[in-house]
Amino acid sequence: MEKKKQIISKYFFAFICIISGAIIEYLKVGRDFLGFSSVGTWLIYIGFVMLAVISLQAISNKKRIVDERMKLLAFKASRITFVLVIFAAFVIMIIDGIKTITIPYSLFMSYLIAYLMLVYVIAYKIIERYN
Amino acid sequence: MENKIKFYRKKLEITQEGLAKVVGVTRQTINALEQGRYNPSLELASNITKALKKKYIEELFKL
Repeated sequence: MEKKKQIISKYFFAFICIISGAIIEYLKVGRDFLGFSSVGTWLIYIGFVMLAVISLQAISNKKRIVDERMKLLAFKASRITFVLVIFAAFVIMIIDGIKTITIPYSLFMSYLIAYLMLVYVIAYKIIERYN
Repeated sequence: MENKIKFYRKKLEITQEGLAKVVGVTRQTINALEQGRYNPSLELASNITKALKKKYIEELFKL
């Protein structure tokens, strides 16, 4: 019952993403939203990805176990990610001081998210392997 | 932390997967415990002790 509620709320959130994305796209608000372009398209895209992931989770009968060791690994990976983000920010700051970096905000955010995810996953896998 | 999980598990002819299912953790966690790469919480140690039909945690884990 609890799982059903969770799935319904996830579906609801995904549909909200798609609908709000469609509205933003229709009203052409997302074309230049706080300097971030094509917000509507991305919301629709994320909404559909969420729908796919939720559906796969719902279909899969495999019970997902999250035990105390996995929580510890996740905590350690988060800490490493945080330190590496600070380090990367420092390096970018120095490079920007030498030669000005000019990239669009959307590109910067996509790089940041990709960097965060990559570092977290790699850190998690390494800790899992050697700890 | 030293432990005798593997010894008692094999004595009872339980697989890592089986023990993991009983105590509610992943097989990888049982493997990490047996290799001494992870120190369990008191709750998990207690559950493993019960699953391996031992009376005291000290029978399995040594500091």
